Amino acid sequence: MLLTFARKQEKAVALWLKDFILTMQEFFLFSVRAFKAFPKVKRYWRDVLDQATICGTDSVPIVLVSAISIGSLLAIEVGNLLEDFGAKTMLGRSTSLSVIRELGPLLMGLMLSARFGSRNGAELGAMQISEQIDALRAFGTDPVAKLVMPRLVAALIMFLPLTALSDFAGLHSAAYMAEHYHRLDPGIFWNAVYPRLAPKDFVVGFLKAPVFAIIITLVSSFNGFSARGGTAGVGRSTIKGIVVSSGLVLIANFYVSKIVLENM
Amino acid sequence: MIELRNVSLKYGDKEILKNISLTVRDNTIKAILGPSGVGKSTILKLMLGLIKPNSGQVIIDGTDITAMKEANLYSIRRKMGMVFQGNALFDSLTISQNLGFFLRENLKLPEDEIERRVTEQIQFAGLEGYEDQLPESLSGGMRRRVAIGRALIFKPHMILFDEPTAGLDPVSSKKILSLISSLRHKNNLGAVIVTHIIDDVFNVADCVAVLYQGEIIFDDVTEKLHLSQHPFIRSILSDNILEL
Repeated sequence: MLLTFARKQEKAVALWLKDFILTMQEFFLFSVRAFKAFPKVKRYWRDVLDQATICGTDSVPIVLVSAISIGSLLAIEVGNLLEDFGAKTMLGRSTSLSVIRELGPLLMGLMLSARFGSRNGAELGAMQISEQIDALRAFGTDPVAKLVMPRLVAALIMFLPLTALSDFAGLHSAAYMAEHYHRLDPGIFWNAVYPRLAPKDFVVGFLKAPVFAIIITLVSSFNGFSARGGTAGVGRSTIKGIVVSSGLVLIANFYVSKIVLENM
Repeated sequence: MIELRNVSLKYGDKEILKNISLTVRDNTIKAILGPSGVGKSTILKLMLGLIKPNSGQVIIDGTDITAMKEANLYSIRRKMGMVFQGNALFDSLTISQNLGFFLRENLKLPEDEIERRVTEQIQFAGLEGYEDQLPESLSGGMRRRVAIGRALIFKPHMILFDEPTAGLDPVSSKKILSLISSLRHKNNLGAVIVTHIIDDVFNVADCVAVLYQGEIIFDDVTEKLHLSQHPFIRSILSDNILEL
């Protein structure tokens, strides 16, 4: 009986592994097709603009809220800690490094994974279920060029200014809290920020924007294209897209920081 | 002309099509009849190259598309129009935009030519006055007519219909069937109709292929269906079942 159970488990693992490898292969080919469609960007510029509005302009409020929230909290908590060591004047430096290198881009990535990624997954999933994607193919239009490439281009363009906005809002909310909560002179705060920031700090932060744009757009769109099994299938593919892209954003955040900081 | 030669297809361990061969000649209406879930719609997708068979060949106007790359298939697909079971209209676009969508996408036609073709299809489908409506505001029969109009807009040689009357009331079904019949007479078009409704076959099809358990058990002119001795066909005809 134990042997039968073990064999069943072995078979299940083998099937899962085969399925995983096939999915990875499909995802790789899907990503290649999306990048190969870049020369068609001129033809689909209206779609790029639409997607830029969705992932850029419309995402400003959520990016601002998360950046202001994390900047304020960071200033309060780090300020309390530095006060114990009599190093409150270092608040500007510690907050700016955290916001610009890590928390600004990371929070923006997670928020956009939830907002832009879920929209992609649900919209493309619904199109897949209702055979609209098959209709595109049947009538001679490449669905990846029409639906995925504009999303990817828009995300690559818009994630950079959103990262800058996230950094800006995070830093200014931290400065506001430093002045009004910790009674720290703004001159001292900003003097600890700008002269001490090195180019590598900006490279780390801003390099994450295109990496996150690629991860979020391709993972959510691939899951939308893979939706099967009616409306429940759309729900499943959307959730899968958000969970996988958020996880990959966290992993990529660590590795981009590690690689850039070790090599610059 | 569309030819399927010794085509087999599997989904996982399930064998959907077993070595089937099928020919659809130009300017004829061929029905593919079979119970639901037997793989009829899959045959249409094979004809368009939307899916690839595990073995066998799919030949369109003498060109083997079986191993053709996606990018090369687009020009072949434009020779055929497809009417999907759920219509597959773009729900965020108006009826006119739906009809003109693929012309704007794929052909570099002047805008007035696109407008002319859209108006032609609106009139053909009897949808004057609904040009600026979204698909969701139309009835099932009207949406199906828009889908037929969209399939015709490229002026294809052949139209593929996936369950054209499924889910429609008897009046709408009759209108759709007469629209399909008129396509051949007015536009000189051929058609493949996938259906599980026997009445549709006798109403419009010149010839019929019956798909049963992944195999073609009958493939001849519609009138000869009554002469078949296959137990499945005998049972559906003698029991006078209207839908499989």
